[in-house]
Amino acid sequence: MKLIFKYIPYAIVGIFAFQQCADSTTKKNYKGLVVSQEQQASWIRNFNPLTPGGSARWPTAAGIYEPLMIYNSMKGKYIPWLAVKHEWNVRNDILILDIRKDVSWSDSQPFSGKDVLFTFNLLKEFPAFDIRALWSYLESVKLLNEYEVEFTFSSIYVPGLDAIVGQTIVPEHIWSKVEDPIKFTNPDPVGTGPYTEILKFQNQVWELGKNPNYWQPGKPKVEKLTFPAFPTNVQATYALINGEVDWAGNFIPAIDRIFVDKNPENHHYWFPRSGGSIFLYPNTTKKHLNNKAFRKAISYSIDRELIAKVAMYDYTVPADITALSEGMSRWRENKKRNENWNKFNRDKAISLLDSLKYSFSKDKTSYDNNELAFEIIVVSGWSDWIRAAQIISRNLKAIGINASVRTYDFGTWFSKLQTGDFDLAIAWAEKGNTPYNLYRGLMSQKLVKPIDETSSLNWHRYGNAEIDVLCQQYEKTSDPKLIKNIIFKMQDIFIENLPAIPLFSEPSWGEYNTSRFTNFPNEQNPYAQLSPNNVPENLLVLIELEPVK
Amino acid sequence: MNTSVQYLLKRLGIYTIAGWAAVTLNFFIPRMMPGDPVSVMFASFRGKLKPEAIEALKQTFGFTDEPLLNKYINYLSHLLKGDLGISTAYFPEKVSSIILSGLGWTLLLVGISLIISFVIGSLIGMIIAWKRDGKLDSILPPSFSFISSFPYFFTAMLLLYFLGFKLGWFPIRHAYNSDLIPGFNIEFIVSCLHHALLPASTLIFMGIGGWMLQMRNNMIGTISTDYISFAKSKGLSQKRIMIWYAAKNAILPIITSFGMAIGFILNGTILTEIIFSYPGQGYILFQAVQAQDFQLMQGIFLTITLSVLAANWLIDILVLILDPRTRK
Repeated sequence: MKLIFKYIPYAIVGIFAFQQCADSTTKKNYKGLVVSQEQQASWIRNFNPLTPGGSARWPTAAGIYEPLMIYNSMKGKYIPWLAVKHEWNVRNDILILDIRKDVSWSDSQPFSGKDVLFTFNLLKEFPAFDIRALWSYLESVKLLNEYEVEFTFSSIYVPGLDAIVGQTIVPEHIWSKVEDPIKFTNPDPVGTGPYTEILKFQNQVWELGKNPNYWQPGKPKVEKLTFPAFPTNVQATYALINGEVDWAGNFIPAIDRIFVDKNPENHHYWFPRSGGSIFLYPNTTKKHLNNKAFRKAISYSIDRELIAKVAMYDYTVPADITALSEGMSRWRENKKRNENWNKFNRDKAISLLDSLKYSFSKDKTSYDNNELAFEIIVVSGWSDWIRAAQIISRNLKAIGINASVRTYDFGTWFSKLQTGDFDLAIAWAEKGNTPYNLYRGLMSQKLVKPIDETSSLNWHRYGNAEIDVLCQQYEKTSDPKLIKNIIFKMQDIFIENLPAIPLFSEPSWGEYNTSRFTNFPNEQNPYAQLSPNNVPENLLVLIELEPVK
Repeated sequence: MNTSVQYLLKRLGIYTIAGWAAVTLNFFIPRMMPGDPVSVMFASFRGKLKPEAIEALKQTFGFTDEPLLNKYINYLSHLLKGDLGISTAYFPEKVSSIILSGLGWTLLLVGISLIISFVIGSLIGMIIAWKRDGKLDSILPPSFSFISSFPYFFTAMLLLYFLGFKLGWFPIRHAYNSDLIPGFNIEFIVSCLHHALLPASTLIFMGIGGWMLQMRNNMIGTISTDYISFAKSKGLSQKRIMIWYAAKNAILPIITSFGMAIGFILNGTILTEIIFSYPGQGYILFQAVQAQDFQLMQGIFLTITLSVLAANWLIDILVLILDPRTRK
């Protein structure tokens, strides 16, 4: 026992010695811009921009490599990038892209339409790369000259433009020599993007240096990017608060108190509500839920203000009646409507139920003497959605409907959702550059699959033939006026039928620290979305950031 | 000695069968989980990925509708060739290289903390049992049971928050200072130790109590035996009796449970590694389960199984050396 006491002084000295090191290690002085976008315990070296499933390091797809055009969701338009112009023929079945001249790869080889042609043919040869299913409507791609590429469509499909110009382009002179591009980890990437040089790659941190040959003169202004590995949100948040991270896309609860108050001068965030909409999906194959008036009664009974405030930390606002998030607000038709089911109105909900011959006694609503009971399924651990589901459950109880919240593991939840094995579920919806994807996903009859069959869209199984007609019209036109008209018609059908109940739009998370770098987008200067999670829009931000002088 | 070799070979045979059983369970159990890696990956994009991508993803990972039994036979034959397959979550990285990137760190952290807690725990257990009714005996056992009854993540996060985040004494993440290049030099080793100190001490603190109590109880049993009384009456020194007569016998059952503990601790580090951002394989396992990455899960379970079986076999040998009764 004495022995132990004898060594205590040494132990204390030891701890102090470590403390000395601690001072030098915890206040890391990275010279690069420190980004926290992915949450990983240790980095795996993969820079293949074509691998599906996002297993390549951020920003491989939009940073090391670049797409042909970038859709700026804040401005609502395409920004020409590796392609400068697109043009449809009269019939809308041939698309011609003008490719930018004076662009070179980071190994100084020139970039041209040949690389574009090569990339699209690679997608054809390896369908695993074709995650947007381009070749389901493309017939051929050919070069008109070195800087003009022609895409011929097998059937008219104008929305295909999004997928074509969003394609990341890889260099022919390197990838044509790769034996198995699917299993290629591309350890030393050669790209056209602003950052291409891997300066360091360790399991805990890696660094990306700027492209010496970048085609936009004077850009990027930041020498290098640093990526420390943070396995969890908590760790990333600690680092942000400590001022060790300059740019992040994390969810942080009560951000004003936790993050901004620590350093109000330099700690900033911007959570524009530009994400997709979150819905309460009613399974429309089930009794009661197949009735649109019943669905509207449910919608009236939901206190969305409370959900936004309590479940979402006041980061969002109640859903619009068009179900379009604020990022899509330019597509909302402003007109006087008869419907207002997105407004919390308990009396209206009860009177609707009354008119549908539901009876209300002893706080219970019943139909033909059967009490109504539903289950709301949510992913366990997704605390914001769980809180939202609990509020909805209480709201429904108030109109006599017994709705219990059940949480499941992600895999189980998603398979229940896809096979239609649920009553009510909270889930996301399709996103895209126009509301076409959303409305088609929610209402197209073609997408309705029988219960028990896995369906990747339209989990609630609602089909409307009118929507399919409108979709067909939309797919065949490039006329902006006509497009707007079609979207407005889809909107009316959605509002009339309420196939899925919109709750709120998802914010896009973005935080930044201005002590070392500036010119981040924000509410005053919304040149793009702040969040690094929006690929490829993050590229617009990457090239604008600059060090503090 | 011949019988000892026979005994060891017999044990090896049993472990081989156990290993095969574990491999088989590793193969089938994950596949009974609802859902599949492709839809999990698709869903993680929350609507940003087109549904058409599902087909592309299936193509990439080479999913087929082969019967499960064929897949199993295929898996076994690849396993015998040392091929663990390709991860889907970290596609197209090989499972073996992902495991190797984390295994070293986990073994370092777990190995050091397990040995330290075992040694300290047994020593304290030995001493307090020898001097039972002493002050230490009335303070240490209840206080350690108190500490180790806290949920592990709670203690770990508390320490991380106060010692790491608030006071800044310890780094709050990673296994070494990221500015350093890994190599065999003093600066790097000091950085490794400094980073391991906080996570290791949480593991040690939580583990010490168990070893101590086990050792104490065994010791008390041995102390009351006749040969100890005999040794005392012969006038041997107290220290000699305590260490070489009582402790040596009391520790035998604990050594066996040490082998078991290796398995439990390898699993237990999942929490440690998540909380302290330690780049070990526990966190990788967590990711693999979330992404339903069957290959990676199998690979990690396999390394855990193999290390537990190997440790148990080594302990069989050790017990054979320490305990003459097993030799007969």
